[in-house]
Amino acid sequence: MADVTITNVKKTYDGKPVLHGIDVTLPDGHFVVIVGPSGCGKSTLLRMIAGLEDITSGEIAIGGTVMNDIEPADRGCAMVFQNYALYPHMTVRQNIAYPLRLAKLPVAEREERVAQAARILNLTDYLDRRPAQLSGGQRQRVAMGRAIVREPEVFLFDEPLSNLDALLRVQMRIEIKRLHKRLNATSIFVTHDQVEAMTLADTLIVMNAGRVEQIGSPAEIYRRPASVFVAGFMGSPAMNLLPATVGADGEVVLDGIAGDIIAQSSLRTGTPLTIGIRPESITLATQPGKGLPVTIDLVEELGGSRVAYYNLSGSELAVVLPPGDEGLEGKTVWLSFPTEALQAFDRVTGKRLDTAFATSVKRAAPLNAEAVRV
Amino acid sequence: MTTDALARPVRVRTAPLRRISSQSGLNTAAGHLLMVLLSIFCLFPVYWMLVSSFRPANAMFETSLWPTQGSLENYTTAIDAIPIARMLLNTLVFSAVSTVFQLLTGILAAFAFARWKFPFDKLVYTGVALTWLVPFQVVMIPNYLLVAHMGLLDSILALILPNIAAALAIMLLAQAMRGFPKEVIEAARMDGASNWRILWEVLVPNLRGTIASLAILIFISTWNEYFWPLLLSRTAENSVIQIGIQMFMTAEGNAWGPLMAASTLASLPVLVIYVVLQRQVVQSFMKSGIR
Repeated sequence: MADVTITNVKKTYDGKPVLHGIDVTLPDGHFVVIVGPSGCGKSTLLRMIAGLEDITSGEIAIGGTVMNDIEPADRGCAMVFQNYALYPHMTVRQNIAYPLRLAKLPVAEREERVAQAARILNLTDYLDRRPAQLSGGQRQRVAMGRAIVREPEVFLFDEPLSNLDALLRVQMRIEIKRLHKRLNATSIFVTHDQVEAMTLADTLIVMNAGRVEQIGSPAEIYRRPASVFVAGFMGSPAMNLLPATVGADGEVVLDGIAGDIIAQSSLRTGTPLTIGIRPESITLATQPGKGLPVTIDLVEELGGSRVAYYNLSGSELAVVLPPGDEGLEGKTVWLSFPTEALQAFDRVTGKRLDTAFATSVKRAAPLNAEAVRV
Repeated sequence: MTTDALARPVRVRTAPLRRISSQSGLNTAAGHLLMVLLSIFCLFPVYWMLVSSFRPANAMFETSLWPTQGSLENYTTAIDAIPIARMLLNTLVFSAVSTVFQLLTGILAAFAFARWKFPFDKLVYTGVALTWLVPFQVVMIPNYLLVAHMGLLDSILALILPNIAAALAIMLLAQAMRGFPKEVIEAARMDGASNWRILWEVLVPNLRGTIASLAILIFISTWNEYFWPLLLSRTAENSVIQIGIQMFMTAEGNAWGPLMAASTLASLPVLVIYVVLQRQVVQSFMKSGIR
C-alpha cells in the first residue's frame, strides 16, 4: 500500500497543453475516483501514474519514491483497462498468471495465487477458457484477477465498466468496492459516470479541461460544489443553475422574472450570479400561495421518483416530485426555493461564492407573476 | 373457421417469401456457375500438365481429356536427364530459408516501425516501401556483382542472400501490428514484459493468420523464382527446379513429356504446403472473427 503524490504535473501533446499543473495527494488505502467529461485529461493523468504516458513536467511519487523515470512494471501499480486488454491467445489461467510468470515466481506459488484470485472473482470454472469464450463481465473479472495476483500497492482502473451493460455495471461496481475493502490497496478509478464516481469514491476528484475543479468526499462535492461546472456535472438530475442578479438591499432576483425575489443576501448590489439549487431541494405546492407559479412541461418517470421539467426564462429547471403527486403534466404549480438550499456562483469566474442567504421579507407576499409556459 | 380459411393467409404470406428465395436461389446458382467456370479455367492447365505427364511421347499431342495409354516414361526420362531430387531439395532450401528469414526480418522491422518512435522513422519507412516498387531488373546487376565479389556464384547461399528481407513482409506485418489493440500491449508492459517478450509472446501469437498468409506468399513466389537462379546457377546440382524444367526446352525442340513430368513434380510440394497452411490461415481468420 502507498500514497500517491502528484506535484505540478503538466502534459502537452505537440505543444498543446492537456494537463495544466495537477497537484493532488491521494491518501494510502483510499478509493480515489477521478471524474470528468470526455477529454478532460483524467485518463491521461491515470496513464501518467501508470507510466504509460511521459510526464511533460512535474513529479509523480508513489509511496514517497519519485516514479517519473521508472518503468510501468516497476511502479508497483496494476491496471485494469476499459477494453479488458486480455491476451486473446491465452486461457484465463495463463492470462492471470502472466505477470507472475514474468516475475519468475515459482510455479507452485503462481498456481496458488491464480487459484486464490479465481476464487475471489468467481472464475474457478472458467480458468481453462479463452477470453473469446467469456462474457463482458467475466472478461473484466479476469482483467481484475490479473491485477490482483500481482499484489500491487496501487490499483489503477481506466473506465473499466464503460463497456458493460447497465445491470452488469452495477454488479461489477459492487464487486470492485468489495474487492477494495478486502485488499485495502490505494485504488485510482477513472470514470465519466458520476453515479459510479459517487458510489465508489472515498475521495473524489472532479476534473475539467485539464484542471482539478474540486477534491473532496462525494457528499461534500455534492453538497458544496466549488464551481458551476462541478454543480452541473455531479448529480442526476443535475443541479438547477439559474442566472440571477443582486438587486437593491442584497435581494437576489432571478433574471428574466421581474420582481421575483428569491432570497436576501449580503452580496454587493449588481453582482451577476448563478444561483444553484438541487432538484430535490425545491418545494412544490399545488395550491396557489407563496412561490413561483410555473406550468409543468414534462414529467420523467424514474420508478422510485419522478422528475418534472419546465423552462424558466430559457433555463431548464428540474424538480424531483414528492411521492403521490400524479398527473401534474401541464398543470400549474407553485415553487419555493428554500434559502438554506441555495448556492451562489460568480457568473464571471464560475467559482462558488460563500454567502448565506436569508428569506426575503418582500418575498413573503404572494407573487403576481403569471405562470411561465414553455 | 374452415381449414381453407386457416390455410389462406399462410399461403398469402409465404408467396412473396418463395419468390424472394427462388430469386436468391437463382443468384446463388449463377454465382456458383461462374465459380465453377473460373475454377475450370484456373485448374485446366494444371490438369493438362498432369495428364500430359503420363502420356507416352507418341501420344503427346492427343486431345483426349485423359490419357488413353498411361505411362511413367516421362518421369523416368526427366529423372535421368536432370538431378531432379537435388534440384527440388535446393528449391525447398532456397524457398524455406528465404521465407523464414523474410518473416524474421519482417517481424523485427515491423515491430520497430509499428511500436517505436525514432528520428526520421516515417522517412525510413517510406524508403523501405519504395524498395518494393523497384523492379528486380534494376537491382539484378548490383546484386549479381555483389555475390560474385563474395565468391558465392553457383551457390544456394547466393540465391538466398538478396531474399532475406523484403519490403512487402515489413509493410504487411507493420500494418497488422499497428492494428493490434494498443491496450493489450500496454497491459503486457504493466505486467512486466520487455519489448522482446511483447513481440514474441503477445504480438506474434496473435498475428498467426497474417504470418501464415505471408509465409505462403513468400514461399510460393520464391519457389517460382526463375530469373535470379538463372543468373547465378552454373551447374545443375546447384540449381533450382525451375531451371531444371527449362532444360527440357532446347533449340532443337521441347521435350514436352519430361517437361510436364518435371513440372508436375515441381508443383507437388507447393500444393501440399499450400493446402496445409491454408487451413491454418482460414482457422486464424475464423478465430479473429469470433473475438
